[in-house]
Amino acid sequence: MKSVIRILRSFVVTTIIIAIFLLVLNFVLLGNFLFKGMEGHAPKNVVQKVATELEGTPGNYGLDNSVKKLLTQNKAWAMLIDNKGQVSWDYELPEEIPLNYTLRDIAKLSRFYLKDYPVFVWEHDDGLVVVGYPQTSYAKYQLYFPVSWISSLPVRSLALLIGNIALALLLSVLIGTRLIRSLKPLLGGVHDLAQEKPVQLETKGIFQDLAKSINQTSKILQKKNKALKKRDEARYNWIAGISHDIRTPLSMVLGYAGELEENKVLPEEQREQAGIIRQQGEKLRVLIQDLNLVSMLEYEMQPLNIKTLFLSALARQVAADFVNNGLDEKYVINLELAQEDIKVKGDEKLLLRALTNLVQNSITHNPQGCEILLKTCISLDSETCSFIVADRGKGISQDKLSDLLELPYSAQRKHAVAKGHGLGLPMVSKIAQAHKGKLILKSRPGEGLEAIINLPVVFSPEQKQV
Amino acid sequence: MNIRDKKILIIDDELEIRKMIDSFLRKEGFYRIYHAENCEEALTNLRENKPNLAILDVMLPDGDGFSLLTAMRQVSSLPVLFLSARGEAEDRLLGLGLGADDYIVKPFLPRELILRVTAILKRVYTTVKPEVLPTFKLEDCIVDLEGAVVSNEQGEQLLTAKEHGILVKLYENRGRIVTSDALCRAVWGDDLYGYENTLMVHIRRLREKIETDPSNPQSLLTVRGLGYKLIVKEE
Repeated sequence: MKSVIRILRSFVVTTIIIAIFLLVLNFVLLGNFLFKGMEGHAPKNVVQKVATELEGTPGNYGLDNSVKKLLTQNKAWAMLIDNKGQVSWDYELPEEIPLNYTLRDIAKLSRFYLKDYPVFVWEHDDGLVVVGYPQTSYAKYQLYFPVSWISSLPVRSLALLIGNIALALLLSVLIGTRLIRSLKPLLGGVHDLAQEKPVQLETKGIFQDLAKSINQTSKILQKKNKALKKRDEARYNWIAGISHDIRTPLSMVLGYAGELEENKVLPEEQREQAGIIRQQGEKLRVLIQDLNLVSMLEYEMQPLNIKTLFLSALARQVAADFVNNGLDEKYVINLELAQEDIKVKGDEKLLLRALTNLVQNSITHNPQGCEILLKTCISLDSETCSFIVADRGKGISQDKLSDLLELPYSAQRKHAVAKGHGLGLPMVSKIAQAHKGKLILKSRPGEGLEAIINLPVVFSPEQKQV
Repeated sequence: MNIRDKKILIIDDELEIRKMIDSFLRKEGFYRIYHAENCEEALTNLRENKPNLAILDVMLPDGDGFSLLTAMRQVSSLPVLFLSARGEAEDRLLGLGLGADDYIVKPFLPRELILRVTAILKRVYTTVKPEVLPTFKLEDCIVDLEGAVVSNEQGEQLLTAKEHGILVKLYENRGRIVTSDALCRAVWGDDLYGYENTLMVHIRRLREKIETDPSNPQSLLTVRGLGYKLIVKEE
């Protein structure tokens, strides 16, 4: 809806700008184009010139040659009517022009024509100078305006201008809304496309081609999504199926190996061997469970049991679990906790699993022993909080770092898995993603590894008041 | 009646698995064991032999274990233990929700299976005794959780409800660290925050009762930054 209003607004603004531009353009053109041919030797200038240049005494007038030339150029004639109505001087006077004028004749010719010649008059010391132009060369009009009309002219033209603008605005809004009305379903369709919703628009009106294309795109998108979902499901089912099929035979391996291990009749050595079979079987069991979990997270099939959790409590729990399960003295887990009241929404089991994996990772890759720092912190804007698991161990080179988050054997992975099954860190990364968070790894060889899980913070009402 | 005399029905489509479970059960002294490899056989067996416990697979050739359990429940209320290769949390909850007594995911260790089977049999078939909280010995005293009494050379002292709750939680995890969060949750309930200081007050009072020198505790130890640990003397 917002975008529709925006389009309408810019449409109206553009229309008004175009209207104003046209108005200005018309004024300029009016001056330059329409009134072209009005300038030059206007009759008024010529008659004035003749009147001022005509010198002499009655019966002996003379006109400068340049003025005569001007008259000739305009194919005009001239005469001087004295105060008694007699023509006392003339130049190129046509024959049909009378030489005597009454007061009535003078009044007529000053306003209109003299024998169809357009004539122009100017006062002279000795009478009236008349300049005549060829017939049909000029039209003469008389204009009369009431003074009130003249004085209200600026106001009226302003009103006209405003009226014009208003009309342009109205028209543009009208046309714009009509356009928008046919555009609106299309816009809605495109917005829905962006959200991958199915779109079915009516295909009529000026935009029918566009509507058809949008419908087509939607269909393709839906089809692809469906195919993608199907493929994800197939992959997920494949992994689930394989792990299911491994479980039953593995039960028997574990079961009988366990029995043999405890069978007092067997020699010590064979019981030990049976013990190794059992231990390896148990490793396989863990691997299958991890594989299943990673696969479920990858294809978003893992149900999350979301609760509000305290960051510090989770960190303490992980540290306590490691100590309780007999952590080797080579390793020291240090806790560094920020405020106690930082809360996140998450699946407790999965988050504990992620942290356990990170700590276990540091232990596995530093068999010489190391110090492991388990830290919680919160960003300055209080939007995200982080678990940081850092060790002062041997670290890892930069190019192998990005590999660690990829699943083993995937195309993105450049190096083979060094130790363990390689599912640990991808699992942490996927758990973080499932919680709308992110796992970041930082390391340099010899400086240890730092793993950071960023998670969105949950605000409690007390915190908001502060 | 000894629980070893109870009749056990194993329902699984894999002969090998049935044989293995059978052998483990026999080794433990169970001898009345019946097999069924599909739902139909299971229901027939249920009617004819009236077993006391069923070990049930989820995936069966002619149906799934969940619907079989529903069908079995209409005839009998015998305890059922699911043994499934499907480990998803949903399946587990579905199974337990349908009234199964336990849910074990394959692969399993034989000892675990036997322990769970005997636990279910004991719970269902032995006359129920009211659960009694234990009495145990600490470095400087004897704690009777049932009576909530601490006795040492000076005499007897009663435990308050909170102190009792803390001690029960610590005793359940004796020798292991219990985080202060877990202790608070056990005593004050879920989703609580800010009880650490209160907890410390209760721990101090508790030490005054169970330790000879409360400022130098021998039994209730603080694990700095994490929580507390209870050291119990050999029973």
